[in-house]
Amino acid sequence: MQEPLPSPSPRPWWLGLAVMVLGGVCLYSASLLPATAQYAAVGPGMALIGVGAGLVILGILLLIQIARGERFEPEGAENVNAELPMDKKAFATALTAIILPALIIETLGLPITAMLSFTLVALALGSRAIVANLASGLVLGCASWFLFNWLGLQLGDFLPLLNRK
Amino acid sequence: METFEHLLHGFSVALTPANLGWALLGSVLGTVIGILPGIGPALTIALLLPVTVSVGPVAAFIMFAGVFYGAMYGGSTTAILINTPGEAGSMMTALEGNKMARNGRGAAALATAAIGSFVAGTIATVALTFAAPAVAELAFILKPADFFSLTVLAFTSVAVVMGASRVRGFIALFTGLALGLIGIDPMTGQPRMTLGMPDLLDGVELTVVLVSVFAVGEILYVASRYNADEQIIPLKGGAFMTKEDWGRSWKPWLRGTALGFPMGAIPGGGSEIPTMLSYTIEKKLTRKPQEFGHGAIEGVAGPEAANNAAVAGILVPLLTLGLPTSATAAILLAAFQNYGLQPGPFLFTSNPDLIWGLIASLYIGNLMLLVLNLPMVGLWVRLLHIPKPQLYAGILVFAMVGIWGVSGSVFDMALMVGLGLLSYSMRVYGFPIPPLLIGMILVPVAETQLRTALAAGQGSFKVLLESPISVAFLCLAFLALFVPILLNRLRKAA
Repeated sequence: MQEPLPSPSPRPWWLGLAVMVLGGVCLYSASLLPATAQYAAVGPGMALIGVGAGLVILGILLLIQIARGERFEPEGAENVNAELPMDKKAFATALTAIILPALIIETLGLPITAMLSFTLVALALGSRAIVANLASGLVLGCASWFLFNWLGLQLGDFLPLLNRK
Repeated sequence: METFEHLLHGFSVALTPANLGWALLGSVLGTVIGILPGIGPALTIALLLPVTVSVGPVAAFIMFAGVFYGAMYGGSTTAILINTPGEAGSMMTALEGNKMARNGRGAAALATAAIGSFVAGTIATVALTFAAPAVAELAFILKPADFFSLTVLAFTSVAVVMGASRVRGFIALFTGLALGLIGIDPMTGQPRMTLGMPDLLDGVELTVVLVSVFAVGEILYVASRYNADEQIIPLKGGAFMTKEDWGRSWKPWLRGTALGFPMGAIPGGGSEIPTMLSYTIEKKLTRKPQEFGHGAIEGVAGPEAANNAAVAGILVPLLTLGLPTSATAAILLAAFQNYGLQPGPFLFTSNPDLIWGLIASLYIGNLMLLVLNLPMVGLWVRLLHIPKPQLYAGILVFAMVGIWGVSGSVFDMALMVGLGLLSYSMRVYGFPIPPLLIGMILVPVAETQLRTALAAGQGSFKVLLESPISVAFLCLAFLALFVPILLNRLRKAA
């Protein structure tokens, strides 16, 4: 059996706080429902209050566990060495690849966005063949656009910039 | 007798050339994704959801079943040849299978895994054929309070069993519940948790969550801790097993099946626990205990059979009660909902083509997978040589296509980033993903049943304690939560 893995951060207090904040958002949203009181126990706020209260309690329990020194082992996965420290540069590159579509897909379309994101992810995982990756990404993006459009998905214009006047 | 007639009808549906084609496509796709890293059956079905809407539910579910079974077959190949399970159920296979491959017995390990999967898959499908209608009949007596208590049992078991700690399991579950409550309340029309954003009025699109949680989170996680060292062990030896291998394999196959099918049907049981149990039992029963840890064939045969039998087990509560017991089952439930169908007892009478066509396709798919996996294993192994940077980059492109194709919304692309980061953090800090998905997918049903029960009981929660079935489910949930704690304390005290 594997040795216990090192925790990524010795005391991740923010985890407990984040869970409590999420619970707080649920409770706040329940309080915004105008007719909560009139609906009594069976209204739309009931589930929100239950889930919100549950998350706040679980957040507190998690904070207690963290204070007691609970270990947070990273999950084992294929192609991952969970014992390695985080590669911040690679992570930032992959994150950029994931943020990029939200910023450019409407303007540049799927094929160009796919080309750029493909290259960035490959770069994050150590591939330095940038030109080949750009070409592969473009081919995959174009092929996906034509195939999935044919299958009935609405993937927008091929190159939206060309259609703008 | 009636079951046989239904099954024959199912075969008449599944054996049409078009549906055979879908079964073959699903089986091939399933084997491929089982072998490739980073893509499991859950993500594949999630990515296929938008595309398959145009092909009709019978064809789509026959293909999904092929993907689900195929991934189990394919997962064992990576477990044996590169010591990396393609999916969670193949973890135990890696322990002995990889040792066998290192000893030059990779072909025998792959053969016992494939034949064991076929035997277990077929026996478990027979059990599914007879158990599902019986459970569906029982499901007719469930009232809203009973059904709500059953979902509580499912939630509790999943949160307790999956994950490093109960608290983290429940946090994942409650996060999923919160995500599932976003949007307009179907009973009163009031917007909930939308934070004033019109894009959230329809709730969070399930495909966006599935793709972000599985694909995007995985890409971020792999990028942050990428391990490029991977040794593929070349196949040696004959393609089939020796007489001794057969003699040592058939009993573990049957024992694995007996463990996997019922445990797959239990919420939280999934395929991980029966495979672990099977491995432990085989280790205890073997006549050659010294071989365990060095490549014992029983350690591959038993867990692989348990793994495949669990898949059929998982389908029992899903088809009869609409209750998913694993992440992939949760996505299959979402696929039913995508077609406007609710799995449950009524589906057996309202849509027999779908249910019985699907069950019949499991028999056919199993046979196809045996043929695809035994003689063609060398071909599948070549997939392991696809460069990982380009593979993960391709996964992101398909994730993008899935989300953009479903909604065409930049908001959803931004949501992909947020959910991807959530999934990444869950992986880094050991929070289980399945409870999040099961919570999100089941909360609308659970809430509707609870509110219906409460309305009937004039707002009193006592209504949950008035039905003996509901009380039994709640007691089981209570036991699932507290018995492990009690056992731990007793063990420490001893």
